[in-house]
Amino acid sequence: MQLNTQFMWETFLAVLKGVPVTLAIVAVTLLVSAPAGFLMAVKKAGEGRIGRRIITVYVSLIRGTPVVLQILFLYSLLPTALNYLIKEVMGLSYNIFNVNPIFYAYVVFILNTTAVLAEVFRSALSTVSKGQMEAALAIGMSKPQAYVRIILPQALVAALPNICNATVNLLKSTSLAFMMTVRDITAIAKIEASFGYNYLEAYLVIFVVYIILCSAVQGAFHLTEQGVAAYKKPVAP
Amino acid sequence: MLKVKNVEKTFGDNQVLRGVDMEVEKGDIVVILGPSGSGKTTFLRCLNFLERADGGAMDFDDIHTELKDASREIISRVRKKTAFVFQNYNLFQNKTALQNVMEGLTVARKVPKAEALARAKAALDKVGLSERYDYYPSQLSGGQQQRVGIARAIAVDPDVLLFDEPTSALDPELIGEVLAVMKKLAKEGATMIIVTHEMTFAQEVANKVIFMDGGVIVEQGSAEQIFTSPKEERTIQFLRRVLKDYDYVI
Repeated sequence: MQLNTQFMWETFLAVLKGVPVTLAIVAVTLLVSAPAGFLMAVKKAGEGRIGRRIITVYVSLIRGTPVVLQILFLYSLLPTALNYLIKEVMGLSYNIFNVNPIFYAYVVFILNTTAVLAEVFRSALSTVSKGQMEAALAIGMSKPQAYVRIILPQALVAALPNICNATVNLLKSTSLAFMMTVRDITAIAKIEASFGYNYLEAYLVIFVVYIILCSAVQGAFHLTEQGVAAYKKPVAP
Repeated sequence: MLKVKNVEKTFGDNQVLRGVDMEVEKGDIVVILGPSGSGKTTFLRCLNFLERADGGAMDFDDIHTELKDASREIISRVRKKTAFVFQNYNLFQNKTALQNVMEGLTVARKVPKAEALARAKAALDKVGLSERYDYYPSQLSGGQQQRVGIARAIAVDPDVLLFDEPTSALDPELIGEVLAVMKKLAKEGATMIIVTHEMTFAQEVANKVIFMDGGVIVEQGSAEQIFTSPKEERTIQFLRRVLKDYDYVI
């Protein structure tokens, strides 16, 4: 058996075009899911019983089902439902089936990652002592001010390793976006491979590409962790 | 200046406060004494709404409110007129000493940064921490942390300073430095309400002593009166337990 190195190089160049797609899914998802997950965690620690119940149901619904199933389900449901909504309810002539499928990928991964991050933030918030909020309120800060300036920076220290984990998991599961015809890294590799049945070579290439991307994510988080935990340094200035 | 009437608070089916009244004039040093579980900390926390009382009313300068249904705006005003020193310091762990003190000025009171910086430095200098501006709480000793806590409280120039057992979490050899700072504040005319177990300190600085037990005020009066000629049996028992040389005082 011989590997077609020429093909591998060409595939590598081809899948590079998929890297921005993959990273876009990761970035958009995190930008929406991180604040949403944090708000859910705060809400869940709060007093509203109904809000807490809804969040619990949402989180267990998402975490109790495979991502693949969520993709299949939403990709079947969403376009049809939106089409009905636009054509029948709103009476517009916009063709929803022309929408870039990446938007469906955003929806699936945002729904998924928000649930994961809500749990991450919930446990991280519990590591911050109650006295921190009390001190902030006592000195005259509002609750949102206290969260942003005092609680969140401390919770982040506990949350970052888990956020890193969630991000790596997210990056890897974006490879499922090909199921929604998104042309990400995996999709491009499959397409390239299908011309001459060079599947092994194509998969080897993206194997390496994913490893590089995941390592980069972990490295970035490692640096951030050191930054936000600076106040824990035992040595005085 | 500050007057509360009939403060009540129940946790579950445990009534912690059964109608507590207190009146504080400007410049008063009020010390609240009492065995643990007597409700003194809860009472103090009700004063700035860290604990929401179930009953009672407050008159605080131009603020008049029922404690139970004080609006968010009233609570915010009361909190900006008071400052709280915690038993466990509760310094913001992610901020340096200087940032801890500035936070209440720049964020809560919108004081311009330059002015806040000057005031924060002055407050830290006052508690003897001019060498520790840029230290994080984890890099300070307990006594130093509590002094930052006091600096944080005085920097906002509150009408009333609330102290909740400020020395209870400290090693014996560190208690002195914190009490010294508090004495200095008392001498400068700050209005303070102090929950403490430091009897000598209470005797020395208080002009009003409140003895609480079982959620009520058993006895109150001047420091002299409470410490040398208490009337209530429960006060006498308590003082006998906590003051080893109590018999000689009498």
